[in-house]
Amino acid sequence: MSNQALVDAEWALSHLDDPKVVFIEVDEDTEAYGGNHIKNAIALNWKTDLQDPIRRDFVNKDQFEALLSAKGVSNDDTVVLYGGNNNWFAAYAYWYFKLYGHGDVRLLDGGRKKWELDGRELVSEVPSRTATKYSAKEQDLSIRAFRDDVLKAIGTQNLVDVRSPDEYAGRLLAPAHLPQEAARIGGHIPTAANIPWSKAANDDGSFKSIDELTALYEGAGVDLTKDTIAYCRIGERSAHSWFVLHELLGVKNVSNYDGSWTEYGSLVGVPVAVGDEPGTA
Amino acid sequence: MSGCGAVVGGVSLDNIDITTQAVIQGVVTSGDAPASVGYARLLDRNDEFVAEVPISKQGEFRFFTVAGNWTIVALIPGATSRTQVKATLGNVLDVDISLSK
Repeated sequence: MSNQALVDAEWALSHLDDPKVVFIEVDEDTEAYGGNHIKNAIALNWKTDLQDPIRRDFVNKDQFEALLSAKGVSNDDTVVLYGGNNNWFAAYAYWYFKLYGHGDVRLLDGGRKKWELDGRELVSEVPSRTATKYSAKEQDLSIRAFRDDVLKAIGTQNLVDVRSPDEYAGRLLAPAHLPQEAARIGGHIPTAANIPWSKAANDDGSFKSIDELTALYEGAGVDLTKDTIAYCRIGERSAHSWFVLHELLGVKNVSNYDGSWTEYGSLVGVPVAVGDEPGTA
Repeated sequence: MSGCGAVVGGVSLDNIDITTQAVIQGVVTSGDAPASVGYARLLDRNDEFVAEVPISKQGEFRFFTVAGNWTIVALIPGATSRTQVKATLGNVLDVDISLSK
């Protein structure tokens, strides 16, 4: 697959020692990076680094600038993100870097999983990078959706629920590697199409071909001339689907609802659909 | 709020009320030894992806789900396998998977 936003292992291997290319591993499980990682990669924690410690929101522009400055990332660096979970959190961080306007950010196809399954080298040495003075832009809200945007989109624009069919239907409240203990209700936003993120990925975590990805969305009957909002449970799997639509397929009017089901499914008074059908507005 | 990230080997059973869970767990082996690098993937009755965890250094994996028929796909460097299982609520189903490269 040839796309500026996506790099493969061969490209990565030829840039591991390039001082202007910063590899960043993003996992929820920080022990993964601590155990080993791609040579010269640094780490970001999607929660403790990228989320406000008190409110449910992102770190603000000043905090993001301070974070990347301390990590030694410059505005003119090429940032290459990768991670576990089929790149869910790396795609989330990719979207996040785009939100704050980083110039050159890319995703390693297949992430940590494909790298491991291909038997490529991982190291334990943690690199040291000199602190920088990073300058972020204001959030690009054209790629971020909020709950009011979602409510307006019911029955009028595309809503794409990228969770598994059982989560969409309300039979599961969370992915099955987590205890099914969430208290919020199950179901989905009415009129949302269910196009699981996993349909865009091969078993090794790499993305399917452009032709296959195009067929996936066309086959699901999604009219991509309309605005599209993708969501999942907390916004990381939908960042993966946002990457497919916005970065690989070039669909520009796509945003990610990071509040996702954990917010929508806890709102009072909003419509909810259960079962396998999208439901009506 | 917890994320959707997968804990290596799966979340511990400690402090989990398994009477409300259908737990599927096991060990992936390669040859005679536990596989130390790989992934366990859970598919639903329609072969749709539901979840995936990196296996632990001891080859362990664990899923929390609901009663029903599931497929576990084990992925290690150079080999994959599929195992069909039936999980029931309130029980821990042990599934050992042996792979050869």
